[in-house]
Amino acid sequence: MSTVAYPARRARRNDLALLWHQVRYEQLSFWRNPQNAIFTFAFPVVFIVILGALFRGGTGSSYFYGLSTMQYYVPTIAALSVLGSCYGQLAVMLAARRQNGILKRVRATPLPAWTYFLGLLAHCVMVSAVDVALIVGVGRLYGVPLPANWPAVVMALLLGAACFCALGVAVASVIRNSEAAPAVVQLILFPLVFISGTYMPIHSATLNQISGALPVRPFNEVLIGSFAQHSGLDWRNLGVLLAWGAVGAFVAIRRFRWDPRPE
Amino acid sequence: MHTQVRNEVRNQAPALRSPAPSAVVVAGLRKSYGAVQAVRDVSFTVEDGEIFALLGPNGAGKTTTLEILEGFRTQDAGRVEVLGTDPGDRAAGRALREQMGLVLQDIAVEPYLTVRETLARNAGYYPAPRDVDEVIGLVGLTGQERRKVRALSGGQQRRLDLALGLIGDPRLLFLDEPTTGFDPNARRDAWQIVRNLRDAGTTIVLTTHYMDEAQALADRVAVMSGGRIVAEGTPSTIGGRDAAQARIRFVLPDGYTPADLPLPAQAGHGLVTVQTAEPTEALHQLTGWALRRGTVLDRLTVDRASLEDVYLRLTSGSGHDVPEPLTEGSTR
Repeated sequence: MSTVAYPARRARRNDLALLWHQVRYEQLSFWRNPQNAIFTFAFPVVFIVILGALFRGGTGSSYFYGLSTMQYYVPTIAALSVLGSCYGQLAVMLAARRQNGILKRVRATPLPAWTYFLGLLAHCVMVSAVDVALIVGVGRLYGVPLPANWPAVVMALLLGAACFCALGVAVASVIRNSEAAPAVVQLILFPLVFISGTYMPIHSATLNQISGALPVRPFNEVLIGSFAQHSGLDWRNLGVLLAWGAVGAFVAIRRFRWDPRPE
Repeated sequence: MHTQVRNEVRNQAPALRSPAPSAVVVAGLRKSYGAVQAVRDVSFTVEDGEIFALLGPNGAGKTTTLEILEGFRTQDAGRVEVLGTDPGDRAAGRALREQMGLVLQDIAVEPYLTVRETLARNAGYYPAPRDVDEVIGLVGLTGQERRKVRALSGGQQRRLDLALGLIGDPRLLFLDEPTTGFDPNARRDAWQIVRNLRDAGTTIVLTTHYMDEAQALADRVAVMSGGRIVAEGTPSTIGGRDAAQARIRFVLPDGYTPADLPLPAQAGHGLVTVQTAEPTEALHQLTGWALRRGTVLDRLTVDRASLEDVYLRLTSGSGHDVPEPLTEGSTR
Protein backbone atom coordinates (compact mmCIF):
# COMPACT_ATOMS: atom_id res chain seq x y z
CA MET A 1 0.00 0.00 0.00
CA SER A 2 2.49 2.60 1.14
CA THR A 3 5.62 3.05 -0.88
CA VAL A 4 9.17 3.95 -0.02
CA ALA A 5 9.10 7.12 -2.06
CA TYR A 6 6.36 9.24 -0.58
CA PRO A 7 4.36 11.26 -3.04
CA ALA A 8 3.65 14.88 -2.29
CA ARG A 9 1.02 15.17 0.41
CA ARG A 10 -2.49 15.16 -0.89
CA ALA A 11 -4.66 18.17 -0.22
CA ARG A 12 -6.49 18.31 3.06
CA ARG A 13 -10.24 18.23 3.05
CA ASN A 14 -11.62 21.67 3.63
CA ASP A 15 -12.23 22.95 7.15
CA LEU A 16 -16.01 22.82 6.98
CA ALA A 17 -16.02 19.25 5.71
CA LEU A 18 -13.66 18.27 8.52
CA LEU A 19 -15.87 20.04 11.06
CA TRP A 20 -18.94 18.22 9.74
CA HIS A 21 -17.05 14.93 9.96
CA GLN A 22 -16.15 15.65 13.59
CA VAL A 23 -19.70 16.76 14.50
CA ARG A 24 -21.14 13.57 13.01
CA TYR A 25 -18.84 11.29 14.98
CA GLU A 26 -19.29 13.28 18.19
CA GLN A 27 -23.05 12.81 17.75
CA LEU A 28 -22.60 9.14 16.96
CA SER A 29 -20.68 8.48 20.18
CA PHE A 30 -23.31 10.38 22.17
CA TRP A 31 -26.30 8.51 20.75
CA ARG A 32 -24.52 5.18 21.06
CA ASN A 33 -24.79 5.53 24.84
CA PRO A 34 -28.58 5.64 25.18
CA GLN A 35 -28.57 5.69 28.97
CA ASN A 36 -26.55 8.85 28.97
CA ALA A 37 -28.72 10.35 26.23
CA ILE A 38 -31.95 9.62 28.10
CA PHE A 39 -30.64 11.10 31.33
CA THR A 40 -29.43 14.20 29.53
CA PHE A 41 -32.88 14.89 28.15
CA ALA A 42 -34.99 13.56 31.01
CA PHE A 43 -33.60 15.81 33.73
CA PRO A 44 -35.04 19.18 32.62
CA VAL A 45 -38.30 17.55 31.51
CA VAL A 46 -38.84 15.92 34.90
CA PHE A 47 -38.01 19.23 36.51
CA ILE A 48 -40.49 21.30 34.52
CA VAL A 49 -43.21 18.62 34.93
CA ILE A 50 -42.79 18.74 38.72
CA LEU A 51 -42.87 22.53 38.81
CA GLY A 52 -45.97 22.48 36.63
CA ALA A 53 -47.65 19.95 38.90
CA LEU A 54 -46.81 22.10 41.93
CA PHE A 55 -47.94 25.43 40.60
CA ARG A 56 -50.34 24.56 37.80
CA GLY A 57 -50.67 27.52 35.46
CA GLY A 58 -50.96 30.09 38.21
CA THR A 59 -52.05 33.59 37.43
CA GLY A 60 -49.83 36.57 36.92
CA SER A 61 -48.39 37.94 40.14
CA SER A 62 -46.00 40.71 41.00
CA TYR A 63 -43.80 38.09 42.71
CA PHE A 64 -43.20 36.62 39.24
CA TYR A 65 -42.84 40.05 37.61
CA GLY A 66 -46.42 39.91 36.37
CA LEU A 67 -45.92 36.54 34.68
CA SER A 68 -47.72 33.34 35.50
CA THR A 69 -45.64 30.88 37.51
CA MET A 70 -45.01 28.62 34.54
CA GLN A 71 -44.34 31.53 32.22
CA TYR A 72 -41.50 32.32 34.60
CA TYR A 73 -40.23 28.76 34.97
CA VAL A 74 -40.19 27.76 31.30
CA PRO A 75 -37.38 30.22 30.46
CA THR A 76 -35.44 29.74 33.73
CA ILE A 77 -35.53 25.95 33.47
CA ALA A 78 -34.60 26.28 29.77
CA ALA A 79 -31.61 28.32 30.95
CA LEU A 80 -30.82 25.66 33.55
CA SER A 81 -30.84 22.94 30.89
CA VAL A 82 -28.37 24.96 28.80
CA LEU A 83 -26.18 25.37 31.88
CA GLY A 84 -26.38 21.66 32.58
CA SER A 85 -25.49 20.50 29.09
CA CYS A 86 -22.99 23.19 28.14
CA TYR A 87 -21.26 24.00 31.37
CA GLY A 88 -21.86 21.00 33.61
CA GLN A 89 -21.76 18.01 31.29
CA LEU A 90 -19.02 19.45 29.12
CA ALA A 91 -16.71 20.07 32.09
CA VAL A 92 -17.30 16.58 33.48
CA MET A 93 -16.94 14.94 30.08
CA LEU A 94 -13.69 16.74 29.26
CA ALA A 95 -12.20 15.95 32.67
CA ALA A 96 -13.08 12.28 32.17
CA ARG A 97 -11.77 12.20 28.60
CA ARG A 98 -8.53 13.76 29.75
CA GLN A 99 -8.14 11.37 32.66
CA ASN A 100 -8.61 8.26 30.55
CA GLY A 101 -6.25 9.50 27.86
CA ILE A 102 -8.77 10.12 25.07
CA LEU A 103 -7.84 13.81 24.80
CA LYS A 104 -4.18 12.93 24.47
CA ARG A 105 -5.14 10.52 21.71
CA VAL A 106 -7.01 13.34 19.94
CA ARG A 107 -3.91 15.51 20.29
CA ALA A 108 -1.88 12.76 18.60
CA THR A 109 -3.89 13.22 15.40
CA PRO A 110 -3.74 16.19 13.02
CA LEU A 111 -7.28 17.24 14.00
CA PRO A 112 -7.01 20.96 14.84
CA ALA A 113 -8.01 21.83 18.41
CA TRP A 114 -10.61 24.36 17.24
CA THR A 115 -12.34 21.70 15.16
CA TYR A 116 -12.49 19.39 18.14
CA PHE A 117 -13.98 22.10 20.34
CA LEU A 118 -16.44 23.27 17.69
CA GLY A 119 -17.58 19.65 17.41
CA LEU A 120 -18.25 19.67 21.14
CA LEU A 121 -19.97 23.06 20.95
CA ALA A 122 -22.24 21.78 18.20
CA HIS A 123 -23.06 18.80 20.37
CA CYS A 124 -23.92 21.03 23.34
CA VAL A 125 -26.07 23.29 21.16
CA MET A 126 -27.91 20.23 19.85
CA VAL A 127 -28.59 18.95 23.37
CA SER A 128 -29.67 22.43 24.50
CA ALA A 129 -32.01 22.81 21.53
CA VAL A 130 -33.68 19.46 22.24
CA ASP A 131 -33.95 20.31 25.96
CA VAL A 132 -35.47 23.72 25.29
CA ALA A 133 -37.95 22.27 22.78
CA LEU A 134 -39.03 19.64 25.33
CA ILE A 135 -39.39 22.26 28.05
CA VAL A 136 -41.42 24.56 25.80
CA GLY A 137 -43.55 21.56 24.84
CA VAL A 138 -44.29 20.67 28.46
CA GLY A 139 -44.94 24.37 29.14
CA ARG A 140 -47.61 24.32 26.42
CA LEU A 141 -49.36 21.51 28.30
CA TYR A 142 -49.58 23.85 31.29
CA GLY A 143 -50.90 26.63 29.10
CA VAL A 144 -47.72 28.61 28.65
CA PRO A 145 -47.82 30.39 25.28
CA LEU A 146 -45.04 29.76 22.78
CA PRO A 147 -42.08 32.16 22.98
CA ALA A 148 -42.95 35.65 21.88
CA ASN A 149 -39.80 36.45 19.95
CA TRP A 150 -38.31 33.35 18.27
CA PRO A 151 -35.26 34.96 16.62
CA ALA A 152 -34.30 36.54 19.96
CA VAL A 153 -34.76 33.16 21.69
CA VAL A 154 -32.54 31.39 19.15
CA MET A 155 -29.83 34.07 19.33
CA ALA A 156 -29.92 34.09 23.13
CA LEU A 157 -29.66 30.30 23.29
CA LEU A 158 -26.76 30.17 20.84
CA LEU A 159 -24.78 32.89 22.58
CA GLY A 160 -25.58 31.44 26.00
CA ALA A 161 -24.54 27.96 24.89
CA ALA A 162 -21.23 29.28 23.54
CA CYS A 163 -20.50 31.23 26.74
CA PHE A 164 -21.34 28.36 29.07
CA CYS A 165 -19.35 25.94 26.91
CA ALA A 166 -16.35 28.26 27.25
CA LEU A 167 -16.88 28.32 31.01
CA GLY A 168 -17.23 24.53 31.04
CA VAL A 169 -13.91 24.11 29.22
CA ALA A 170 -12.34 26.63 31.61
CA VAL A 171 -13.50 24.68 34.66
CA ALA A 172 -12.29 21.44 33.06
CA SER A 173 -8.93 23.14 32.58
CA VAL A 174 -8.65 23.96 36.24
CA ILE A 175 -9.85 20.59 37.59
CA ARG A 176 -7.03 18.08 37.76
CA ASN A 177 -8.86 14.95 38.67
CA SER A 178 -11.95 13.60 36.94
CA GLU A 179 -13.48 12.09 40.09
CA ALA A 180 -13.61 15.56 41.61
CA ALA A 181 -15.17 17.08 38.48
CA PRO A 182 -18.89 16.54 39.22
CA ALA A 183 -18.47 17.88 42.77
CA VAL A 184 -16.57 20.99 41.64
CA VAL A 185 -19.07 21.62 38.86
CA GLN A 186 -22.03 21.37 41.26
CA LEU A 187 -20.33 23.43 43.95
CA ILE A 188 -20.04 26.31 41.51
CA LEU A 189 -23.38 25.81 39.80
CA PHE A 190 -25.81 25.20 42.65
CA PRO A 191 -25.38 28.43 44.68
CA LEU A 192 -25.09 30.43 41.49
CA VAL A 193 -28.35 29.07 40.14
CA PHE A 194 -30.03 29.63 43.48
CA ILE A 195 -29.12 33.30 43.85
CA SER A 196 -29.83 33.94 40.19
CA GLY A 197 -33.56 33.36 40.49
CA THR A 198 -33.75 30.07 38.60
CA TYR A 199 -35.86 28.32 41.23
CA MET A 200 -37.64 31.38 42.64
CA PRO A 201 -37.62 35.07 41.87
CA ILE A 202 -35.18 36.98 44.07
CA HIS A 203 -36.34 40.38 45.27
CA SER A 204 -33.24 41.38 47.20
CA ALA A 205 -31.55 44.35 45.51
CA THR A 206 -28.13 43.52 46.97
CA LEU A 207 -28.30 39.89 45.92
CA ASN A 208 -29.52 40.88 42.46
CA GLN A 209 -26.66 43.31 42.08
CA ILE A 210 -24.19 40.55 42.86
CA SER A 211 -25.88 37.86 40.76
CA GLY A 212 -26.40 40.38 37.95
CA ALA A 213 -22.65 40.58 37.53
CA LEU A 214 -22.32 36.77 37.41
CA PRO A 215 -23.27 34.80 34.30
CA VAL A 216 -26.47 32.95 35.27
CA ARG A 217 -28.88 35.76 36.19
CA PRO A 218 -28.19 37.76 33.01
CA PHE A 219 -28.90 34.62 30.96
CA ASN A 220 -32.16 34.03 32.88
CA GLU A 221 -33.23 37.61 32.25
CA VAL A 222 -32.40 37.48 28.56
CA LEU A 223 -34.47 34.31 28.20
CA ILE A 224 -37.39 35.57 30.31
CA GLY A 225 -37.42 38.68 28.15
CA SER A 226 -37.40 36.91 24.82
CA PHE A 227 -39.68 34.05 25.91
CA ALA A 228 -42.38 35.90 27.79
CA GLN A 229 -42.03 39.65 27.67
CA HIS A 230 -41.99 40.22 23.91
CA SER A 231 -38.76 42.13 24.32
CA GLY A 232 -35.96 41.83 21.79
CA LEU A 233 -32.46 40.90 22.85
CA ASP A 234 -31.44 42.42 26.15
CA TRP A 235 -27.98 43.60 25.12
CA ARG A 236 -26.95 44.86 28.57
CA ASN A 237 -27.43 41.40 30.08
CA LEU A 238 -26.02 39.69 26.98
CA GLY A 239 -22.94 41.89 27.38
CA VAL A 240 -22.35 40.53 30.89
CA LEU A 241 -22.83 36.98 29.62
CA LEU A 242 -20.47 37.49 26.67
CA ALA A 243 -17.85 38.99 28.98
CA TRP A 244 -17.99 35.84 31.09
CA GLY A 245 -17.76 33.75 27.94
CA ALA A 246 -14.63 35.67 26.98
CA VAL A 247 -13.12 35.08 30.43
CA GLY A 248 -13.93 31.38 30.10
CA ALA A 249 -12.39 31.22 26.63
CA PHE A 250 -9.27 33.02 27.85
CA VAL A 251 -8.77 30.63 30.78
CA ALA A 252 -9.53 27.65 28.51
CA ILE A 253 -6.98 28.70 25.90
CA ARG A 254 -4.31 29.45 28.48
CA ARG A 255 -4.83 26.54 30.80
CA PHE A 256 -6.37 23.66 28.88
CA ARG A 257 -4.38 20.42 29.13
CA TRP A 258 -4.71 17.37 26.92
CA ASP A 259 -2.37 15.19 28.90
CA PRO A 260 -3.60 13.30 31.98
CA ARG A 261 -0.16 13.73 33.52
CA PRO A 262 0.71 17.36 32.94
CA GLU A 263 4.29 18.48 33.36
CA MET B 1 29.79 10.90 20.60
CA HIS B 2 28.53 7.97 18.57
CA THR B 3 30.66 8.70 15.61
CA GLN B 4 31.69 5.18 14.91
CA VAL B 5 28.17 3.83 15.08
CA ARG B 6 26.84 6.61 12.94
CA ASN B 7 29.53 6.12 10.35
CA GLU B 8 28.76 2.43 10.25
CA VAL B 9 25.13 3.15 9.52
CA ARG B 10 25.97 5.67 6.87
CA ASN B 11 28.37 3.25 5.24
CA GLN B 12 25.80 0.49 5.23
CA ALA B 13 23.24 2.67 3.54
CA PRO B 14 25.01 5.25 1.44
CA ALA B 15 21.94 5.76 -0.72
CA LEU B 16 20.06 7.15 2.25
CA ARG B 17 22.63 9.82 2.95
CA SER B 18 21.73 12.75 0.77
CA PRO B 19 18.19 12.31 -0.57
CA ALA B 20 16.60 11.21 2.72
CA PRO B 21 17.55 13.28 5.73
CA SER B 22 17.41 11.57 9.10
CA ALA B 23 13.86 10.96 10.27
CA VAL B 24 14.71 11.93 13.83
CA VAL B 25 17.63 13.93 15.18
CA VAL B 26 18.10 14.36 18.92
CA ALA B 27 21.08 16.30 20.26
CA GLY B 28 21.90 17.12 23.85
CA LEU B 29 18.35 16.52 25.05
CA ARG B 30 17.59 17.28 28.71
CA LYS B 31 14.39 17.17 30.69
CA SER B 32 13.77 17.40 34.42
CA TYR B 33 10.61 17.03 36.48
CA GLY B 34 11.32 19.13 39.53
CA ALA B 35 14.50 17.74 41.03
CA VAL B 36 14.34 14.54 38.99
CA GLN B 37 16.48 14.57 35.87
CA ALA B 38 14.50 12.25 33.62
CA VAL B 39 16.64 12.76 30.51
CA ARG B 40 20.28 13.84 30.76
CA ASP B 41 22.09 14.83 27.59
CA VAL B 42 20.63 12.26 25.21
CA SER B 43 21.66 12.29 21.55
CA PHE B 44 20.77 9.90 18.76
CA THR B 45 19.71 9.84 15.14
CA VAL B 46 17.11 7.66 13.47
CA GLU B 47 17.64 7.14 9.77
CA ASP B 48 14.83 7.04 7.28
CA GLY B 49 13.36 3.55 6.93
CA GLU B 50 14.84 1.84 9.97
CA ILE B 51 13.42 0.41 13.19
CA PHE B 52 15.07 2.13 16.12
CA ALA B 53 14.50 0.85 19.67
CA LEU B 54 14.99 2.68 22.92
CA LEU B 55 15.59 -0.15 25.34
CA GLY B 56 15.70 0.29 29.08
CA PRO B 57 14.08 -0.45 32.41
CA ASN B 58 11.06 1.48 33.70
CA GLY B 59 12.04 5.00 34.66
CA ALA B 60 15.05 5.12 32.33
CA GLY B 61 13.65 8.13 30.46
CA LYS B 62 12.40 6.31 27.35
CA THR B 63 8.84 7.57 27.43
CA THR B 64 9.89 11.12 28.31
CA THR B 65 12.23 11.12 25.31
CA LEU B 66 9.51 9.72 23.08
CA GLU B 67 6.92 12.22 24.32
CA ILE B 68 9.25 15.10 23.50
CA LEU B 69 9.59 13.68 19.97
CA GLU B 70 5.81 13.36 19.79
CA GLY B 71 5.33 16.99 20.82
CA PHE B 72 3.58 16.24 24.12
CA ARG B 73 6.37 17.61 26.26
CA THR B 74 8.95 20.31 25.75
CA GLN B 75 12.61 19.81 26.49
CA ASP B 76 14.60 21.90 28.95
CA ALA B 77 17.61 21.89 26.63
CA GLY B 78 18.81 20.31 23.42
CA ARG B 79 17.69 20.12 19.83
CA VAL B 80 14.99 17.83 18.47
CA GLU B 81 14.01 17.43 14.86
CA VAL B 82 11.30 15.08 13.62
CA LEU B 83 10.91 14.79 9.84
CA GLY B 84 12.81 18.05 9.62
CA THR B 85 10.42 19.86 11.99
CA ASP B 86 10.59 20.92 15.63
CA PRO B 87 7.81 18.85 17.25
CA GLY B 88 7.32 21.54 19.91
CA ASP B 89 6.22 24.01 17.23
CA ARG B 90 2.41 23.88 17.35
CA ALA B 91 2.03 25.92 14.16
CA ALA B 92 3.81 23.19 12.20
CA GLY B 93 2.19 20.51 14.33
CA ARG B 94 -0.67 19.68 12.02
CA ALA B 95 1.51 19.03 8.99
CA LEU B 96 3.86 16.95 11.14
CA ARG B 97 1.03 14.92 12.65
CA GLU B 98 -0.31 14.16 9.21
CA GLN B 99 2.91 12.24 8.55
CA MET B 100 3.33 10.73 11.97
CA GLY B 101 1.54 7.85 13.71
CA LEU B 102 1.53 7.54 17.49
CA VAL B 103 0.71 4.55 19.63
CA LEU B 104 0.81 5.63 23.24
CA GLN B 105 1.49 3.47 26.23
CA ASP B 106 -2.02 3.42 27.69
CA ILE B 107 -5.02 2.19 25.78
CA ALA B 108 -7.49 5.01 25.24
CA VAL B 109 -10.31 4.43 22.81
CA GLU B 110 -13.83 5.74 23.05
CA PRO B 111 -16.04 2.89 24.20
CA TYR B 112 -19.28 3.33 22.29
CA LEU B 113 -18.19 3.45 18.66
CA THR B 114 -17.57 0.29 16.69
CA VAL B 115 -14.10 -0.71 15.50
CA ARG B 116 -14.92 0.41 11.98
CA GLU B 117 -16.42 3.75 13.06
CA THR B 118 -13.45 4.54 15.29
CA LEU B 119 -11.05 4.00 12.40
CA ALA B 120 -13.25 5.81 9.89
CA ARG B 121 -13.43 8.82 12.20
CA ASN B 122 -9.66 9.07 12.54
CA ALA B 123 -9.12 8.35 8.85
CA GLY B 124 -11.05 11.53 8.15
CA TYR B 125 -8.43 13.57 10.01
CA TYR B 126 -5.68 12.74 7.47
CA PRO B 127 -5.24 13.95 3.92
CA ALA B 128 -4.27 10.53 2.54
CA PRO B 129 -5.38 7.81 4.96
CA ARG B 130 -5.04 4.09 4.40
CA ASP B 131 -8.10 2.04 3.62
CA VAL B 132 -10.03 1.27 6.82
CA ASP B 133 -10.71 -2.37 6.01
CA GLU B 134 -7.13 -2.93 4.96
CA VAL B 135 -5.87 -1.62 8.30
CA ILE B 136 -8.42 -3.75 10.17
CA GLY B 137 -7.03 -6.77 8.34
CA LEU B 138 -3.46 -5.70 8.98
CA VAL B 139 -3.86 -5.66 12.77
CA GLY B 140 -5.94 -8.85 12.80
CA LEU B 141 -9.32 -7.41 13.73
CA THR B 142 -11.15 -8.81 10.72
CA GLY B 143 -14.58 -10.00 11.84
CA GLN B 144 -14.68 -7.49 14.71
CA GLU B 145 -15.55 -4.46 12.54
CA ARG B 146 -19.07 -4.05 13.89
CA ARG B 147 -18.30 -4.68 17.54
CA LYS B 148 -18.29 -1.80 19.96
CA VAL B 149 -14.89 -0.93 21.35
CA ARG B 150 -16.01 -1.58 24.93
CA ALA B 151 -16.86 -5.20 24.00
CA LEU B 152 -13.31 -5.89 22.78
CA SER B 153 -10.74 -7.69 24.91
CA GLY B 154 -7.73 -5.75 26.17
CA GLY B 155 -5.53 -7.26 23.48
CA GLN B 156 -8.04 -6.36 20.77
CA GLN B 157 -8.23 -2.79 22.06
CA ARG B 158 -4.46 -2.62 21.84
CA ARG B 159 -4.67 -3.79 18.21
CA LEU B 160 -7.22 -1.07 17.55
CA ASP B 161 -4.85 1.42 19.13
CA LEU B 162 -2.13 0.25 16.75
CA ALA B 163 -4.58 0.50 13.85
CA LEU B 164 -5.28 4.11 14.83
CA GLY B 165 -1.54 4.78 14.68
CA LEU B 166 -1.43 3.37 11.14
CA ILE B 167 -4.61 4.79 9.67
CA GLY B 168 -2.99 8.03 8.48
CA ASP B 169 -0.38 6.06 6.48
CA PRO B 170 2.47 7.63 8.47
CA ARG B 171 6.06 8.04 7.28
CA LEU B 172 7.16 7.79 10.89
CA LEU B 173 5.55 5.65 13.57
CA PHE B 174 6.19 5.96 17.31
CA LEU B 175 5.37 2.93 19.42
CA ASP B 176 5.59 3.27 23.19
CA GLU B 177 5.96 -0.23 24.64
CA PRO B 178 3.80 -1.71 21.90
CA THR B 179 3.55 -5.28 23.19
CA THR B 180 3.42 -4.83 26.97
CA GLY B 181 0.74 -7.21 28.22
CA PHE B 182 0.53 -9.24 25.01
CA ASP B 183 0.54 -13.02 25.02
CA PRO B 184 3.42 -14.62 23.08
CA ASN B 185 1.40 -15.20 19.92
CA ALA B 186 0.06 -11.67 19.89
CA ARG B 187 3.60 -10.34 20.35
CA ARG B 188 4.85 -12.30 17.38
CA ASP B 189 1.94 -11.04 15.28
CA ALA B 190 2.68 -7.47 16.34
CA TRP B 191 6.36 -7.87 15.51
CA GLN B 192 5.47 -9.13 12.05
CA ILE B 193 3.21 -6.12 11.51
CA VAL B 194 6.01 -3.78 12.53
CA ARG B 195 8.51 -5.52 10.24
CA ASN B 196 6.08 -5.37 7.34
CA LEU B 197 5.62 -1.65 7.92
CA ARG B 198 9.37 -1.11 7.90
CA ASP B 199 9.68 -3.15 4.72
CA ALA B 200 7.04 -0.89 3.16
CA GLY B 201 9.16 2.14 4.00
CA THR B 202 7.86 3.35 7.36
CA THR B 203 10.44 4.57 9.87
CA ILE B 204 9.68 3.20 13.33
CA VAL B 205 10.84 4.40 16.74
CA LEU B 206 9.80 2.18 19.61
CA THR B 207 10.47 1.89 23.30
CA THR B 208 10.58 -1.43 25.06
CA HIS B 209 11.88 -3.04 28.20
CA TYR B 210 11.96 -6.44 26.55
CA MET B 211 15.37 -7.41 25.23
CA ASP B 212 13.95 -10.06 22.95
CA GLU B 213 11.73 -7.44 21.38
CA ALA B 214 14.66 -5.16 20.61
CA GLN B 215 16.61 -8.16 19.34
CA ALA B 216 13.79 -9.38 17.13
CA LEU B 217 12.74 -6.05 15.68
CA ALA B 218 15.30 -3.31 15.83
CA ASP B 219 17.84 -2.39 13.20
CA ARG B 220 19.51 -0.29 15.87
CA VAL B 221 19.14 -0.12 19.62
CA ALA B 222 19.99 2.54 22.15
CA VAL B 223 20.06 1.29 25.72
CA MET B 224 18.87 3.91 28.22
CA SER B 225 19.50 3.85 31.91
CA GLY B 226 19.09 6.62 34.44
CA GLY B 227 18.21 9.17 31.75
CA ARG B 228 21.30 8.48 29.66
CA ILE B 229 22.10 6.38 26.63
CA VAL B 230 24.63 3.88 27.92
CA ALA B 231 25.15 2.01 24.66
CA GLU B 232 24.07 2.25 21.06
CA GLY B 233 24.48 -0.07 18.12
CA THR B 234 22.91 -2.94 16.26
CA PRO B 235 21.40 -5.72 18.39
CA SER B 236 24.27 -8.02 17.41
CA THR B 237 27.12 -5.63 18.21
CA ILE B 238 25.77 -3.57 21.08
CA GLY B 239 27.77 -3.52 24.26
CA GLY B 240 30.63 -5.34 22.55
CA ARG B 241 28.59 -8.49 22.04
CA ASP B 242 30.44 -9.31 18.85
CA ALA B 243 33.83 -8.95 20.53
CA ALA B 244 32.79 -11.07 23.48
CA GLN B 245 34.04 -14.63 23.73
CA ALA B 246 31.86 -17.48 22.62
CA ARG B 247 30.74 -20.02 25.22
CA ILE B 248 30.74 -23.72 24.43
CA ARG B 249 28.80 -25.75 26.98
CA PHE B 250 28.12 -29.47 27.30
CA VAL B 251 27.78 -32.27 29.83
CA LEU B 252 31.14 -33.78 30.77
CA PRO B 253 31.12 -37.46 29.69
CA ASP B 254 31.13 -39.97 32.55
CA GLY B 255 34.55 -40.90 33.86
CA TYR B 256 36.29 -37.70 32.77
CA THR B 257 37.27 -34.55 34.66
CA PRO B 258 37.59 -31.04 33.17
CA ALA B 259 41.36 -31.50 33.28
CA ASP B 260 41.05 -34.28 30.67
CA LEU B 261 39.66 -31.88 28.07
CA PRO B 262 42.00 -30.45 25.41
CA LEU B 263 41.01 -26.88 26.37
CA PRO B 264 40.65 -25.10 29.73
CA ALA B 265 37.11 -25.42 31.03
CA GLN B 266 35.05 -24.50 34.08
CA ALA B 267 32.48 -26.80 35.61
CA GLY B 268 29.21 -25.69 37.13
CA HIS B 269 25.47 -26.37 37.05
CA GLY B 270 26.13 -29.87 35.70
CA LEU B 271 27.77 -28.42 32.58
CA VAL B 272 31.28 -27.51 31.62
CA THR B 273 31.91 -24.21 29.88
CA VAL B 274 34.76 -23.41 27.50
CA GLN B 275 35.31 -19.72 26.76
CA THR B 276 36.95 -19.01 23.45
CA ALA B 277 37.55 -16.33 20.89
CA GLU B 278 37.83 -19.02 18.19
CA PRO B 279 34.73 -21.18 18.47
CA THR B 280 35.25 -23.05 15.17
CA GLU B 281 38.69 -24.23 16.16
CA ALA B 282 37.67 -25.02 19.76
CA LEU B 283 34.59 -26.96 18.69
CA HIS B 284 36.69 -29.04 16.32
CA GLN B 285 39.13 -29.90 19.08
CA LEU B 286 36.40 -30.77 21.55
CA THR B 287 34.28 -32.89 19.23
CA GLY B 288 37.43 -34.61 17.88
CA TRP B 289 38.42 -35.39 21.47
CA ALA B 290 35.01 -36.94 22.15
CA LEU B 291 34.92 -38.97 18.92
CA ARG B 292 38.34 -40.42 19.52
CA ARG B 293 37.12 -41.65 22.91
CA GLY B 294 33.85 -42.99 21.47
CA THR B 295 31.78 -40.73 23.68
CA VAL B 296 29.39 -37.81 23.12
CA LEU B 297 29.14 -34.19 24.28
CA ASP B 298 25.59 -34.22 25.56
CA ARG B 299 23.51 -30.97 25.44
CA LEU B 300 26.20 -29.23 23.40
CA THR B 301 25.56 -25.49 22.78
CA VAL B 302 27.58 -22.59 21.43
CA ASP B 303 26.48 -19.05 22.22
CA ARG B 304 27.62 -15.54 22.96
CA ALA B 305 26.68 -13.20 25.76
CA SER B 306 22.98 -12.72 25.08
CA LEU B 307 21.52 -9.28 24.62
CA GLU B 308 19.98 -9.89 28.00
CA ASP B 309 23.42 -10.36 29.59
CA VAL B 310 24.60 -7.14 27.96
CA TYR B 311 21.47 -5.28 28.95
CA LEU B 312 21.58 -6.37 32.55
CA ARG B 313 25.23 -5.38 32.74
CA LEU B 314 24.59 -1.98 31.14
CA THR B 315 21.52 -1.08 33.15
CA SER B 316 22.59 -2.34 36.55
CA GLY B 317 23.10 0.79 38.63
CA SER B 318 26.47 1.85 39.91
CA GLY B 319 27.53 -0.05 43.01
CA HIS B 320 26.79 -3.39 41.37
CA ASP B 321 29.18 -5.20 39.09
CA VAL B 322 31.73 -2.94 37.54
CA PRO B 323 30.85 -2.94 33.84
CA GLU B 324 33.39 -4.54 31.57
CA PRO B 325 34.94 -2.18 29.08
CA LEU B 326 32.68 -1.83 26.08
CA THR B 327 33.55 -1.52 22.45
CA GLU B 328 35.01 1.87 21.79
CA GLY B 329 32.62 4.24 20.10
CA SER B 330 29.47 2.43 21.06
CA THR B 331 29.39 3.79 24.59
CA ARG B 332 29.67 7.02 26.41
